[in-house]
Amino acid sequence: MKRAVLGSLAASTAFAQQSALDAAGPNAYRIKLLGAVFLVLLGLIFLIVIALALIPLARRHRGIEQEPLEQRNQPSQLTERKLAGSVGAATVITVLILFGLVIISVVAGKTVSGPSNRANALVIEITGNQWWWAVRYANDDASRIAVTANELHIPVGRPVMIRGTSNDVIHSFWVPSLQGKRDLIPSHVTTDWIQADRPGRFRGQCAEFCGLQHAHMALWVVAEPAEQFEAWLTHQLQAAIPPSEPVKQRGQQVFLNSGCVLCHAIQGTTAAGQVGPDLTHFASRLTIAAGTLANNKGNLAGWIADPQNIKAGTHMATIPVKSEDVQPLLEYMETLQ
Amino acid sequence: MCLIEGSLFCMLIAIYFYLRLGVDVWPPPGVQLPDVFLPTIALIPLIASCAGSYWASDAAKRGDRNGMILGMTLNLVLAIIFLVFRAFEWKSLNFTWASDAHGSIFWAILFLHTYDVIADLLMTAVLTFAVVTGRAGQKQRIGVHVDSVIWYFLVGIWLPLYVVLYWGPHFAGAPR
Amino acid sequence: MSTLVTSVKAPAIDASQREQLESAWRNKPGIAEWFSVTTHQAIGKRYIVTAFIFLLLGGIEALFMRLQLAAPENTLLGPVRYNQMFTMHGTTMMFLFAVPVMEGMGVYLVPLMLGTRNVAFPRLNAFGYWIYLAGGLLLYGAALTNTLPDAGWFAYPPLSGPNFSPGKGVDVWAQMITFTEISAMCVAVELIVTILRMRAPGMSLNRMPMFCWSMLVQSFMIIFAMPAVMVASTVFLLNDRTIGTHFVNPAEGGDPLLYQHLFWFFGHPEVYIIFLPALGMISSILETHSRRGVFGYPALVLSLVGNGFVAFGLWVHHMFATGLPQIGEAYFTAASMMIAITSGVQIFCWLATLWTGRLQLTAAMHFIFGFIFIFVIGGMTGVMLASIPLDLQVHDTYFVVAHFHYVLIGGALFPLFGAFHYWFPKFTGRMIDEKLGKIAFWILFFGFNLTFFPMHIAGLHGMTRRIYTYAAEMGWGQTNLLATAGAITIAFGGVIFIVNVLRSLSRGARADTNPWEAGTLEWAADSPPANYNFVNLPLITARYPLWTERSERGIVVGMRNDRREVLITTLMDAEPHHRSVLPGSSIWPFLTALGFSIGLVGSVAAFYWYYIASVLGMIGLIGWFWPRQPLDIKP
Repeated sequence: MKRAVLGSLAASTAFAQQSALDAAGPNAYRIKLLGAVFLVLLGLIFLIVIALALIPLARRHRGIEQEPLEQRNQPSQLTERKLAGSVGAATVITVLILFGLVIISVVAGKTVSGPSNRANALVIEITGNQWWWAVRYANDDASRIAVTANELHIPVGRPVMIRGTSNDVIHSFWVPSLQGKRDLIPSHVTTDWIQADRPGRFRGQCAEFCGLQHAHMALWVVAEPAEQFEAWLTHQLQAAIPPSEPVKQRGQQVFLNSGCVLCHAIQGTTAAGQVGPDLTHFASRLTIAAGTLANNKGNLAGWIADPQNIKAGTHMATIPVKSEDVQPLLEYMETLQ
Repeated sequence: MCLIEGSLFCMLIAIYFYLRLGVDVWPPPGVQLPDVFLPTIALIPLIASCAGSYWASDAAKRGDRNGMILGMTLNLVLAIIFLVFRAFEWKSLNFTWASDAHGSIFWAILFLHTYDVIADLLMTAVLTFAVVTGRAGQKQRIGVHVDSVIWYFLVGIWLPLYVVLYWGPHFAGAPR
Repeated sequence: MSTLVTSVKAPAIDASQREQLESAWRNKPGIAEWFSVTTHQAIGKRYIVTAFIFLLLGGIEALFMRLQLAAPENTLLGPVRYNQMFTMHGTTMMFLFAVPVMEGMGVYLVPLMLGTRNVAFPRLNAFGYWIYLAGGLLLYGAALTNTLPDAGWFAYPPLSGPNFSPGKGVDVWAQMITFTEISAMCVAVELIVTILRMRAPGMSLNRMPMFCWSMLVQSFMIIFAMPAVMVASTVFLLNDRTIGTHFVNPAEGGDPLLYQHLFWFFGHPEVYIIFLPALGMISSILETHSRRGVFGYPALVLSLVGNGFVAFGLWVHHMFATGLPQIGEAYFTAASMMIAITSGVQIFCWLATLWTGRLQLTAAMHFIFGFIFIFVIGGMTGVMLASIPLDLQVHDTYFVVAHFHYVLIGGALFPLFGAFHYWFPKFTGRMIDEKLGKIAFWILFFGFNLTFFPMHIAGLHGMTRRIYTYAAEMGWGQTNLLATAGAITIAFGGVIFIVNVLRSLSRGARADTNPWEAGTLEWAADSPPANYNFVNLPLITARYPLWTERSERGIVVGMRNDRREVLITTLMDAEPHHRSVLPGSSIWPFLTALGFSIGLVGSVAAFYWYYIASVLGMIGLIGWFWPRQPLDIKP
């Protein structure tokens, strides 16, 4: 019984996939620490205030420390002076505490808003769309610009600058385990710094109401050791490998001959649509539809067949696919590693 | 009321500059700079009309019925002349509120001020009618005084607005 | 016009005087008169009842939201309906309930507390109410035709702009704001003039009740804050949507952030506009039930004024995530924390009052203690939110939702419920059932904490705001279920309160004029007050007139009682200045409001309706101000 209770408590606190308390990077960790300081200090103040309010309540019948109020319902001058002293002291203490909190906040704010050493930074451009994330790895060398969607990979231990904007409405990029959020505003460019200090998968979610499917605009940040990251990035730069098996080739034909190409791009094919996520390495991603579904064949079939059913209001068109083309299409999509 | 309207117009001036600072070229390319001549000439009847307000207000304090009527009529005539100038100026602008942000804020300020002017004119006209037809009691005399204060406010607020709208692009716009 | 003001020992109530007053201040029966009433008690009650209905509607909307979120991937409400629901909930609570109910309490209580007979501009008062009602009818009328706004109660563009929110829902929202802001500004203007020029003789500013101070500061805040939201919503958003302007459209030089600046320049003071009257109520209730004048009157007044000023310097703390320059943002951190000082000083003064008072634990006092508990928690989380790094983690999550409900419900709603219980005898002439009141309190208190405390945790665990559902694996299911259970509990508590009110109205013990033995003037009037409030206007010699010796109380003589006459006094020391005759009932405020409303409602469809509004309104105003006999007031 006890284990069940503890187990369920642990399960409920094992929370989530995206908790600010599960700090995986220096910024999130510092913020968590700052929060703990605030919580302890302010919690203490709260308890003192409540005690001060409840004590008179408790002793109201006992009449202790209650002097007879004069005709005009006013205590003596002496009492009023003592009270004035206490209130004054409490005010001064409050001012000092708040002042201290301002200072540590500003200091912490400066620290988490950018790393001390920016030379080594990786720059990723994120563009918010209703309801998915366009991801672009910036680079001075045009041949090393990788484009993907809804999932970022970052190297462990290295600061990453997120340069953000939006194509339509205001969104907000937020990965709680790594850093506070930053709004993505059309016609503005905002910057944010994230860094993971341990490998892992960290979920993020859009944090500014952006329309019907704001609830289903999530992203994944995969932090991996440097060599793995470089390998991943290099792989992302490659065009899609043409399929060798007939079924999959048929699937590719289905894709290229359908409306899919109006919105989606696959490097190495004629599909060059810029409206929706880039699908070149679609199968290597964890999820479909910005974190809405796990990326597997069954979910993909359901998504393509009826996107409105899964994400009502999504801008993805419902492209009719003949039943005999479904399997080949899915097989082809699976090759887009 | 002056507090409310005043803070509203101050806010609009601040917004004008906020929008200005958001772009490089102001007004945006292709837009003719608002013509300075007509609005500047229009200032003359506008400021002169205050004399009519003052006369009416002073007459109201003294209970001088004829003075009130003449003062308010003078105010009305000059204000209408001002509005005529403004109407011509409106016609000459080559941008609308839907052209771009500059057009939007320009027209917003111009429209709101003109609306207030017309509203006050109507009020003055009604008051004049009331006094002419013998209905000038204590409340109406106070009304004449209040009306003139509102008029001073509308004229006074127009001066900084005029500078911002018509001279702003020359000082704060990008070199053209 | 001279008035003799003397001290009269044990003034006898002159029956003929009362008759004259009854006749002069009478509201005739009948429908036409109902639309023409200008007495402040009636209008105050209308505000309060109407606002309460909106509270219930907003509460039902909240219940729907909570039912949808109780379980992951629930299908009670889809995204369309859910987004409309949270928009309506926020909009109703903030614009149609919170500000109007405080205005209503002010309109009712301020003239009574000041010792006068009505507000300074009775017809403006009536007009303000009708405009408010029209705004509420616009929003809910649109709801009946399924034209609902769904971009949130602050409706950020570009989402709320023409490209991403087609249809008339957001237009209705934007124009409804015009109605409620005009209404608030009307009340603000009349309360300022009433408080500054119509206090009873001898009621210098430092003898004025705290509630009147809070209404004074709040009214000034309304005047400076409301134009900003009218510009943002009506001039910018509505015009961008309907006539193609580009104020907040980035494509043509406009800026979405401009909207946010303007909206929050209003939005932050707005919550203090709601909060300040509650602070005044707390002082009133606390001092009566501690049987001593509230401690630190000058400090409390300064804190209120300080609150009013500082509230205007905080707005960017709603925008910390937008990437504004850091140096600027740091200033807003400091200011946002510093406002805790003004609130803190008030709490310290109240604690001092409690400490040295002789406490009577009425139902109203329960709500005051509830306020202390809940509001202080809210204040603490507010200090956390002022810290930018912390805010960047919890902004736009359920942590913020928890925070603002703690400060708004704790800081405004609990004191308001305390006020309902406290002033119930005065408003209705009956005592409210204390036992049922305390039961309602405990259910509300428990339910509130059960609903909103878990939200702090959900927010820290990553639950963002305004999501219509969430996946099971997110781990938010349990906290949400608890919150929903709490919401249902709150509803239950609300029902108990309503039952109590209805029962007490019909079967409550008759109340005499001062059941709590309070010290301020409203308790000298009958329960409920006559339309003229007092037979004799009082002469004030102390801060708590009813706690002075009877023999030392004076009255004003020399007023005419056969017409609606009030005494205008000087600003600082309330020396008699002149007598003024207030208008009686008039249909023109209603007609003018109708004219403006028709036009403003139409403007949702097309711009030219503004001109129709202007013409109709002008006709109404001409009728309103048309000179009437007698043209000159005889002394």
